[in-house]
Amino acid sequence: MKSKTTTKTTYNIPVGPIHPALKEPVFLEFEIDGERIVDVDVKLGHVHRAIEWASRKRNPIQILYLAERICGICSYCHPAAFALGIEAAADIEVPERAEYLRVIQAEIERITSHVLWAGVAAHEIGFDTVLFLTWEMREKMMDLTEFLCGNRVTKGILTIGGIRRDITKDMLPQITKSLDYFKDNFEKIRHIFLDDKTIKLRSQGVGILTKDDALKLCAVGPTTRASAIKKDVRIDTSYFAYGDLDIDYITPDILTGEVNGDVYDRIIQRLLEIKQSIDIIEQCLDKMPNGDLVSEPKIPKLLNQLKKVEGEGVGRHEAPRGEVIHYVKLTGEDAPFTWKVRAPTYNNILPWIPMLKGEQIADIPIIAASTDPCMSCTNRIGIIKDGNRYELRKEELYRLSVEKTRRLMR
Amino acid sequence: MSEKKTLEELTKYFKDEFKTKIISIDIKKRAAGSKKLETSTIWMKIDKTVFKDVIKHLIKYQYPHLAVISGNDLGKNIELIYHFTVNYGERLKEINLHISVELPKSKPEIESICDLIPGALITEREKQEFLGVKIKGIPDNRKLFLPDDWPDDVYPWRRDETGPEKYYKNLHEVNKK
Amino acid sequence: MGFSMLPKVLSQMFKKPWTNKFPAKYQPSNTTKYLKAVGAGEAKINPPIPTPPGFRGKIIYDKEKCTGCRLCIKVCPCEAIEYKEEDKKIKIYIGRCCFCSQCNDVCPTNCLSMGDEFLLADSDPYAKALIVE
Repeated sequence: MKSKTTTKTTYNIPVGPIHPALKEPVFLEFEIDGERIVDVDVKLGHVHRAIEWASRKRNPIQILYLAERICGICSYCHPAAFALGIEAAADIEVPERAEYLRVIQAEIERITSHVLWAGVAAHEIGFDTVLFLTWEMREKMMDLTEFLCGNRVTKGILTIGGIRRDITKDMLPQITKSLDYFKDNFEKIRHIFLDDKTIKLRSQGVGILTKDDALKLCAVGPTTRASAIKKDVRIDTSYFAYGDLDIDYITPDILTGEVNGDVYDRIIQRLLEIKQSIDIIEQCLDKMPNGDLVSEPKIPKLLNQLKKVEGEGVGRHEAPRGEVIHYVKLTGEDAPFTWKVRAPTYNNILPWIPMLKGEQIADIPIIAASTDPCMSCTNRIGIIKDGNRYELRKEELYRLSVEKTRRLMR
Repeated sequence: MSEKKTLEELTKYFKDEFKTKIISIDIKKRAAGSKKLETSTIWMKIDKTVFKDVIKHLIKYQYPHLAVISGNDLGKNIELIYHFTVNYGERLKEINLHISVELPKSKPEIESICDLIPGALITEREKQEFLGVKIKGIPDNRKLFLPDDWPDDVYPWRRDETGPEKYYKNLHEVNKK
Repeated sequence: MGFSMLPKVLSQMFKKPWTNKFPAKYQPSNTTKYLKAVGAGEAKINPPIPTPPGFRGKIIYDKEKCTGCRLCIKVCPCEAIEYKEEDKKIKIYIGRCCFCSQCNDVCPTNCLSMGDEFLLADSDPYAKALIVE
C-alpha cells in the first residue's frame, strides 16, 4: 500500500552559524525525526580570518602575536607550537630553565580552560549555580596569569628560543597560594560533577564516541582520551620539559574502572586533568634549574639568524583541547614561506557526527560542548517544517535543555 | 597491531617495500629538557604513483593518527605533506612521520585517503579549495572554509597569478588621519 | 546527593559580591571626558584595583632618549608605530597597539616602557589620548 502523503518523515534544523554550543561559528544542519537526530552536516568557515595569509607579511617575532590571537582561551599554545616549529627548523636550543617555565605556563592555561569548560558545560544543562562557582575559581587562575605574564588573556610570554619573564623567588608564595586555593576547591567541584544526580542524568550514556570512531576520525585531546585512546603529546614525545617530569596518561577508567566514551567520561577526563596539571606545576617549581631565559636575547640578531635559515619544522603542543600542530617552512626570507596552523577543534568536528546521531534536540548543546568548543554565545536557529518557518532562538534551545533536566529530575 | 617498531625498523619497513619510489628519507631528532630525551621525526618524500600504497602499508603496521595535511606552492609543483604520528600510547615512544608528495601544477591530482582514514575528510576538502588540488574520490566535494560564491580559479595559498593578491586591502590604512 | 550546590548557595547569600566594581556606576559616553571630570573632582570613581607589578598597560614614550633606530617598527606585530621622518621620532597609535611590549624589549635606549593605565576605551580610534608621540 502506497500512501498518498509524502513519505519523508524527517525535517531539517539548521543550527548556526553563530551558535550556543560552539565557540567558533559553525553551521550544523540536523535531520530530525521527531526528537531524534538522524543525520548531521557541518559547514565551517564563517570566521576564516586568513591568518596564514596574514603571516606572509610578517617576521617570526610578529607572527608570535598573530598566533596568540587565533584563540582567546588558548592564547599560549598557538605561539608555543609556532615557536617549537621555528626552533625545529632553525635548530635553536632552548635554555633548560625556560623549558620548565614554559611548562608552568602551559599547565596554568590548561587549568583555566578546563575550569571554564566545566562551568559552561554545567550552564548548558541548566545548572547555573555551578557556572558561577567554577568561574569564581577560574578568576583566581586568571589573577595568577596576570601576575606572571602581565595580562590576563593575551599572555605574550613566549618568545622564540625561550620565555620572556622569569619566576623569581619572591613570586613563589603567590603561586603556591593560588595552587593551594585550587586544591582546596577542587574537591568541591569534583563532588558536584561526579556525585550530583542532575549531571549524571544528563551526561551518562549521552553522546557516545566509541574507541574505533575516535581513532578513525582522528580525534584529539580529552575527547579521544575519554574514549580510551592513549594519545597525549606531553607524554608521547619529549618537548619543553615534559620529558623530565613524572606524568602518565589519564583516561576515565582510572576513576570509574570502565570507559564508555560518553559526555560523563569527558567530564571526568577534564577534572582529572586539572588535578594532573596542578601536580605538574608543583613538580616544575621543585625541579626548575637556574639559568638563562632566552637563547638569544638580542631580537634583531635572532631575526637575522632566522633570515638565513632554510628548512622546515613541525611544532606540536598539547593544548587544553588537544594537539595543536604548526608546520613552518623557512626559505631565507623575512617571513616564513608557509605557516600552517591546525587547531584541535579542526579534528574534533567530525567526531560530532557519531556523537550526535540518535540523540535528542535538547542534547545538542551538551554534546557539542563536550568536545570543548567553548560555547560562546549564541544565535538563532530556524526550524523549517511543513514549509512554515519557525524561529527557534538560542534561548529556546537552552530552555529545551533546561526542561529536559527538570523532566529527568522528576 | 604488530610489535612496535623502532625508528630504524620503521624506515627499513618502508624502504624494503617501495625501494626507489621513496625519493628521500630524513631522520631528525630533537632533544629537550634537562634529561635531553629525544623525539624522533621521519621526513619522507615519496613518488606520487605509490602514494596510496604507502598509506596502506602504514595502516598495515599500525593505524596512524593523521594530524593534518599541509601544503606548499613550490612554483612548478605543489607539495602536500601528510603529518602522521605512530607508536603513540607509550611514554616517549611516539614517532612523527611526515610524508610529502609533489604534484605537478599542470595536473595536481591525488587519490583521496578518506576510505582508509575517514578523519582526513576535513583536511582534504581544505586542500582542495586552498591549493587547487584535485582529490580523486573524495566523498564530499563541497567547499569547506571558503564561501559558496568564491571564484573558482582563485586559490588562497597559491603564490602565482591564481593567488588571492587582488583581494588584499590594507585595512589598517583606511581612515587614518 | 540531589542538591550538592545548596549549602554553597545559601552561604553565598550572606557574603559580599565577589567581583570587582566597575570604576563608574554607568558607562560614560566619553571616557576621556569622564576621567577629566574625575580629575577636577566633579565626578566620583570607584578606586581601581591595583595592577600587579609588570602589568602591560598604555605605552610610555620618552622622546628625549629615542634615537630613531626604527627597531620597534620592525618588530611591532600590528603596525601601530609610525616613523616621523622630519624629527626622526616615532608616533604610536594606541588604538592598534596589542600591548605585547615587544618594542620595549627591542629598544636599545630603553625609551619605551609599559604604564599601568588600562581604561583606554574611546569611540574614536585616533583620539588624542590614544596617540603617543
